[in-house]
Amino acid sequence: MTQSPTLSRRSTTSAPSQLRKSKRRGADARAGYTFLLPWLLGFIALTVGPMISSLYLSFTNYNLFEAPKWIGLDNYTTLFQDERFLQSVGVTVNYVVFGTPLKLAAALAVAMLLNSKRRGQGFYRSAFYAPSLIGASVSIAIVWKAMFGDNGPVDQGLSIFGINLGGWVGNPAMTMPMFILLTVWQFGAPMVIFLAGLKQIPNELYEAASMDGAGPVRKFFNITWPMLSPVIFFNLLMETIHAFQIFASAYIISNGEGGPAGSTLFYTLYLYLRGFSDFRMGYASAMAWLLVIVVGIITLIFFRTSKSWVHYSGDSR
Amino acid sequence: MINRRHFLTTVAVGTASAGVLAACGNGASSSGETGSAENPVTINYTWWGNDDRAERTRKAIALFESKNPDIKVNGNFTDFAGYWQKRATEAAGGGLPDVMQWDLSYLRDYGQRNQLLDLSTVNINTDAFEKSLLPSGQIRGKTYGIPTSTNAFAVYYDPAKLASLGIAEPTGKWTYKEYNDFLTEVGTKSNGALFGGTDYTGVWWMFNIWLRQNNIEAFTEDGKLGFSKDDLKKWWNFTAELRGTPAIASEERVTQLAPKSAFGSNVTATEVTWDNFMAGYLADSGAKELKLVPVPSDDPDNLGLFLKPSMLMVASAKTKYKDAAARFIDFMVNDPEVGQIFKTSRGVPASKTQRDGTTFEGTDKLVVDYEKSIEQYLKDAPEPPIVGFGTLEASFKRISSDLNYGKLDINAATDAWFKEAEDLIKQNA
Repeated sequence: MTQSPTLSRRSTTSAPSQLRKSKRRGADARAGYTFLLPWLLGFIALTVGPMISSLYLSFTNYNLFEAPKWIGLDNYTTLFQDERFLQSVGVTVNYVVFGTPLKLAAALAVAMLLNSKRRGQGFYRSAFYAPSLIGASVSIAIVWKAMFGDNGPVDQGLSIFGINLGGWVGNPAMTMPMFILLTVWQFGAPMVIFLAGLKQIPNELYEAASMDGAGPVRKFFNITWPMLSPVIFFNLLMETIHAFQIFASAYIISNGEGGPAGSTLFYTLYLYLRGFSDFRMGYASAMAWLLVIVVGIITLIFFRTSKSWVHYSGDSR
Repeated sequence: MINRRHFLTTVAVGTASAGVLAACGNGASSSGETGSAENPVTINYTWWGNDDRAERTRKAIALFESKNPDIKVNGNFTDFAGYWQKRATEAAGGGLPDVMQWDLSYLRDYGQRNQLLDLSTVNINTDAFEKSLLPSGQIRGKTYGIPTSTNAFAVYYDPAKLASLGIAEPTGKWTYKEYNDFLTEVGTKSNGALFGGTDYTGVWWMFNIWLRQNNIEAFTEDGKLGFSKDDLKKWWNFTAELRGTPAIASEERVTQLAPKSAFGSNVTATEVTWDNFMAGYLADSGAKELKLVPVPSDDPDNLGLFLKPSMLMVASAKTKYKDAAARFIDFMVNDPEVGQIFKTSRGVPASKTQRDGTTFEGTDKLVVDYEKSIEQYLKDAPEPPIVGFGTLEASFKRISSDLNYGKLDINAATDAWFKEAEDLIKQNA
């Protein structure tokens, strides 16, 4: 992108001025790195360092007290014979597969409603965004637990319609729908991004489509969806990665145990229990790395498949 | 609009987040081994518990500081679950507090791994302690913990609830069958409004007591399991016919009440647990009166009961102020005024000096009287359980809960627990 202007400039400028320019470029780079330094140091010391040591620990038996003992790939191989591990994978995949698309659908639907010009739109936007500001917090998890408990508002509300499910919190079949509702309710962040994307779609396209007699459904699939596809792709990717990392709400709602009957034993919760309750840091590190690798592969698959359905405006196709 | 390059950078940031957590320990203060009134040393003390215990502990610390002007105590507390996670990270960073309240379940984990100070090397007076109690703080000839107080297992019941159902109060001389019948009677007579109790077979210590009643050791000397799969199957079969009936509270209910107990929430008429939970149960349930009787046993001469240290005082192996730490521990376990402050909220004071210096009234008296009434049945306290015992205790509870949800049958549950236990023992060998 920047290549052709540079080339043409090079061909027209004389040697000394070129030298001065590259000198200045060097000074610019130095200044840039100096400004970057605080972040870079923090990144190396607090993120890269621990990640490397956790990679090492994942090949060891480490209980926090004694020096780590090298055991090669043992942690990784025992993982697949650990029933609780397999259960945690099942629970997490379930959550990601059902929770993420539903959340994005809700976000897109609300974003489209809020995109029209009406009075008080600013207020509605803030109101719909609010849950995602507080949604990840401990207090909401506690509220959620109370709402879905025995005789909680949800139980009572449903019983008006003759549905008697009892409390969801103690029922292994109902905990997953409860967590999915919790994540869907926090659609604010992707919604704002969708809204920004919707505003970028030129109105002429819709006007032209109307002239040609297209209805709202056709407009959505033939204009909104393709024009918005980079934003949809971005949100899908971010929300999927985010969903794999669910921890705080699961920890609070199940009292840090992953119950009832293991139905809320999310991957990160099991990782945490292995590390900090059972003192098996090597095992927990192996789990962490496996998650990084799997999320990496999923990201890669997303990018590969995106070529067929994501349209970038810069692309000449 | 959105271009591709822009995008890759944003995405890269999102994926990095699975690092290992590291915590910093608290640094010790500056001056040397001992202090003076003008230049006191500061030791850190940490405990688990609720606000009530925090208030009592602050009083005890203030008293200690007024008696020992050369030492300042910096106190800090959390709840039980968070407590062990904090200690783990501190130990990893080499920064455990100087003095800590401790639980028997975790004594081996830290003692055997050289994190705790051998208290026989410092000056703490244990003359006023029952000789049978002290070994529970000792591992391989070293004293890592001094018991503050004792607790014993008991069946709690609410006399008012039984009276309203027209059920006679239990005497505490009962077999498991009689206890089961009692639970069923409560459930039936109340039409399911009140459960008899919770599934007592899910409580590790009750299982341990049953093993003792049958003269089986839970753990062998060399840290292996002392009982067989058949023993555990037999145990979990005790309530096989009660599960899913009004005799015992359904797991759905119990799970939703957590962290509050079913008994404290007035959902059950009885509960089997430690006798020092009395104050907590009274506060939670609002009941006027709760009573204690011994646990069931099929052998009336062997109830399998014992006094366990309800908590211990330990010091960090790395403390710079051994002398100050020892004086604080000695004060907390022996001083009669400390007994007056805590009453039975830590359990019944273990040191006779402290016990005799404390006046017990009302519910405190009930707990003390209960421990007196079972004196003739008491056997030696168990040794500190194996390394990783806290994990085993938790998985015992969890797997028994799966049993109640009908997710596992008794055979599968037994296999699951033994697999975890054997894996853990191998891991820590």
